[in-house]
Amino acid sequence: MLGEFEYLLITAAAGLGENAYGAAIREEIEASTERRCSMGALYTTIDRLEAKGLLKTWMGEATPQRGGRAKRMVRVTAKGVHAAKDFYDAVMRVSRGASWVENRIGNAS
Amino acid sequence: MNGIGWPLVELSSKLLERDEREAVLGDLLEAKESAWQGLLDVSGLVLRREAGFWKALRPWLAGFGVALPNSFLLMGVSLSVSCTYQRLINHKVYDVWWPTGHEGFSLLLCHTFLLIAWSWAGGYVVGSVSRRTLWVSAALSLLPSVICLGTFRLENLSRLCLFLFLLPAILGVRQGMRNARISVRSASLLALTITVLMISAWSSKALWIFNWALIWPAWYLAAAAWRSGQEGGTGSWPMDHATYTRVSLR
Repeated sequence: MLGEFEYLLITAAAGLGENAYGAAIREEIEASTERRCSMGALYTTIDRLEAKGLLKTWMGEATPQRGGRAKRMVRVTAKGVHAAKDFYDAVMRVSRGASWVENRIGNAS
Repeated sequence: MNGIGWPLVELSSKLLERDEREAVLGDLLEAKESAWQGLLDVSGLVLRREAGFWKALRPWLAGFGVALPNSFLLMGVSLSVSCTYQRLINHKVYDVWWPTGHEGFSLLLCHTFLLIAWSWAGGYVVGSVSRRTLWVSAALSLLPSVICLGTFRLENLSRLCLFLFLLPAILGVRQGMRNARISVRSASLLALTITVLMISAWSSKALWIFNWALIWPAWYLAAAAWRSGQEGGTGSWPMDHATYTRVSLR
């Protein structure tokens, strides 16, 4: 089972598709969670997920806005998609009947 | 990122692997992070990486199993060899507690060879087993020297005599780090020679019991070279990359 941050990272990378790399994933996570994402957490988690076969990474192109430095590109594997779906389903199942979920439904209606 | 900020970030990023350094520095530039924030980010990543290395057994083995105890013991052997040399060549007399006394030239030669072989084998194991934590192993091996330099009062002897083991140990570390090949034959010959000389010194009551702990790096090298041969390599250790990949995929 994935951890919370692992799920965030896989989901952000999947959403970015072909443009998924370190800085873009970080920006996406920070925008979604409104919390700071450290480089340490990002890159060690990418390594861990790659070791588990949930991500694939490679060194991409260098751009002038990056001072001519290469990007570390990320792609979510089929196994990664499956693991993220399992996590999402588990969160949805466990959240059924939770007071905040009911309140939210109540507020919406 | 102006002033000294960016050079500091670049300096701290030197502790990262080349590709990771490229990606991280590029990300920082792209995100237009402040130098202070960039430094925190890079330092945090470096710390996490360093901590990650210590989840394996190898850095503990290199640091606390070889570097720390061996440097302490080898300092004693260096002192013993220096005292024996002084007594035999310069006819200096030492108090009874000095680690010297009845040894003749043959035992001096035996101790000198053992000192070089123990130091080299220990250094080789430290250099090859855990390259990434070498700086911790080096710091641990300096610890006994700080204690010894503070406590020993060496009349007629330079304090440098404590560090006779350093040169062969550094050579061993360098060769270990470069993955210099050792054949099963050479490693076994080294381990056997060390063992025979230690038994000889022990039977002449010229070996401290704790010095037997210095034997295991040589036998470790022999066993590792033999295992590498058994697993389909060229019979040398460390394994070449192709062999390592082939063995890992089994």
